[in-house]
Amino acid sequence: MTNIRPMILLAPLLMFLSLAYMLPFAGVIGWSVTIPEPGLQNYAAALTDPLILSVFWRTLRICAVVTAISVAMGYLLSLLWVRGTPLVRTLTELCILIPFWISVLTRAFGWLALLSSRGLLNGWLEGLGIIDDPLRLVRNEFGVIVGMVHFMIPFAVFPLASAMRNVDERVLLAARGMGASRTRTFWQVFVPMTAAGIMGAALLVFVFAIGFFITPAILGGGRSVMVAEMIYLRIFQSPDWGLAAAVSVILMVAISALLALLLKQLSPKDAK
Amino acid sequence: MKPTDTFTDDQLELLADKARQGKISRRKFTQLGAALLGSAALASRGMPALAADGQLVFVSWGGDAVDAYDDAYGKPFEEATGIRVRQDGSGPTEGAIQAQFESGNPTWDIVDADAFSAESLGKKGMIEPIDYDVVDKSKMRDGFGWEYSASSYFFSYVIAYDATKFGDNPPTSMADFFDTEQFPGKRAMYKWGTGVWEALLMGDGVAQADLYPLDLERAHNKLRDFKQHVISFWGNGAESQTLMLNGEASMALIWSTRARLLDQDTDGDVKFIWQDGVISPGAMAVIKGNPGGSDAAMKFIASAQDPEKQLVMFDMLSQGPANPATDDLIPEDERRFNPVAPDNYAQQVALDVAWYEENYGDALNEYLAIVSA
Repeated sequence: MTNIRPMILLAPLLMFLSLAYMLPFAGVIGWSVTIPEPGLQNYAAALTDPLILSVFWRTLRICAVVTAISVAMGYLLSLLWVRGTPLVRTLTELCILIPFWISVLTRAFGWLALLSSRGLLNGWLEGLGIIDDPLRLVRNEFGVIVGMVHFMIPFAVFPLASAMRNVDERVLLAARGMGASRTRTFWQVFVPMTAAGIMGAALLVFVFAIGFFITPAILGGGRSVMVAEMIYLRIFQSPDWGLAAAVSVILMVAISALLALLLKQLSPKDAK
Repeated sequence: MKPTDTFTDDQLELLADKARQGKISRRKFTQLGAALLGSAALASRGMPALAADGQLVFVSWGGDAVDAYDDAYGKPFEEATGIRVRQDGSGPTEGAIQAQFESGNPTWDIVDADAFSAESLGKKGMIEPIDYDVVDKSKMRDGFGWEYSASSYFFSYVIAYDATKFGDNPPTSMADFFDTEQFPGKRAMYKWGTGVWEALLMGDGVAQADLYPLDLERAHNKLRDFKQHVISFWGNGAESQTLMLNGEASMALIWSTRARLLDQDTDGDVKFIWQDGVISPGAMAVIKGNPGGSDAAMKFIASAQDPEKQLVMFDMLSQGPANPATDDLIPEDERRFNPVAPDNYAQQVALDVAWYEENYGDALNEYLAIVSA
């Protein structure tokens, strides 16, 4: 950062962000150590209470699975979008953008209609005689993952597609020219060259997924409580603002640490 | 006034609305108002007042209730007193009311709250005590007027069942709800515990009269055993209705308000029983330091005690009337839907507000730990 000018240009944004986010967040930190009484008991409770820990673990587990699936599917979709024939590109674009524009609520209810025990899918499968009893596809963790993956795929596609567009076609041709098979060119040349996009997509999806509220609430059947819903619960239902604030702070710190780690991993490669 | 001013006024009015509903801050409102008029003009004209200006904000749980409250209580109150009542459906949970109070600048006046929330917040000094010189205790059922809130309606947690499955041999008690041998199929219960604890205990053999204080350990053991049969812990009324409508659950513990809709909308394919239902009061409470002033708010609560108005609420939302005088105004053939009609009341147990005031938060956290384990 030798050049000071970009910093000056960024300053208003940074100031806005700090006013709009950091100040209120300072208030939340304040709550976490003062409600109901001064001290660190809320953090102690948040890190030892089995309910809260189980919600943390569930959130991490669901987010990891959702991230892996979304990035993998997003990668295939991006390949079609960037490297397909014009017709395939147009179709893929529609498949990415149309769901992207539909509200998260509508999509969650859509999955409910499709996957519930008397839903379309179970109806067909039973009609065809493939199953006798309906499959439990929603109102559990599976349903939550399906709904979240569906929501997150476009967010994975955008960084991936932009990384793929930046891959120099000539490098791939050179690899083929040197005698590498298509598969080998893909795995040893193309994939490493889009690694930054994969990291970016994974990061974006994971961080976004951690804050999910509506989809788990609708598709989880009340069971798959994730951390955002737990914070809501502790603020609005069983008012315990201190604990809710402590959980928020822990979440914020965890996400920031994750971001820092990934940025650190990404930047040396960029510098080369 | 010049025609252009009318538009500015309208803009200002829209802004003022947003400020009252808490969608923008007062400071923001002043800034935007000044931008519209020039700050000198704003000062000389005076803003459309935000507080104590003949306006009340009534906060309910949204949906159809917003229009119903406006028709039944809001409009008649404005006609009688000139005080306009604005409806806000954002849901006065205990935490949301607390947030209003703690902001130091509440934008809500009257909340349609759980009585136990109002009592608990009242003891922390966040709710005005009910002024029983204005609000008439004789227009309430015995035991349903509290220090910080006045009952305004009743609903019950009742057993709804799929009559296409169990029409010949319907469930008759809470024990049947938990009997998946005789009554096969999945169940649905309320996500936030209220009414479910009572159901679990009655299902485990506790008599109605012995329910309170609730034996949470026993209830939660029952929940652990039974939860495999629960397809969904519903979080709102619409969700509970869907679960019965599309047949995902063969029996559900749902609000009587929704049970009536199901009964009517399905022509009796989904029915419900009052036996072992849990009667729960809805209550009106006034936030301390409310913008419209406590006097106006108390008058509003008193005005909502009118039997004719409560009849409108029964018609529109199936709310059981708080004022027993309303019972007789309900047409004969609809009395079966009134949770507090004497015949129905006798089969049920009333939720113990004092127990919930003390125990709700902790009990709910334990309940959710089991549900989401």
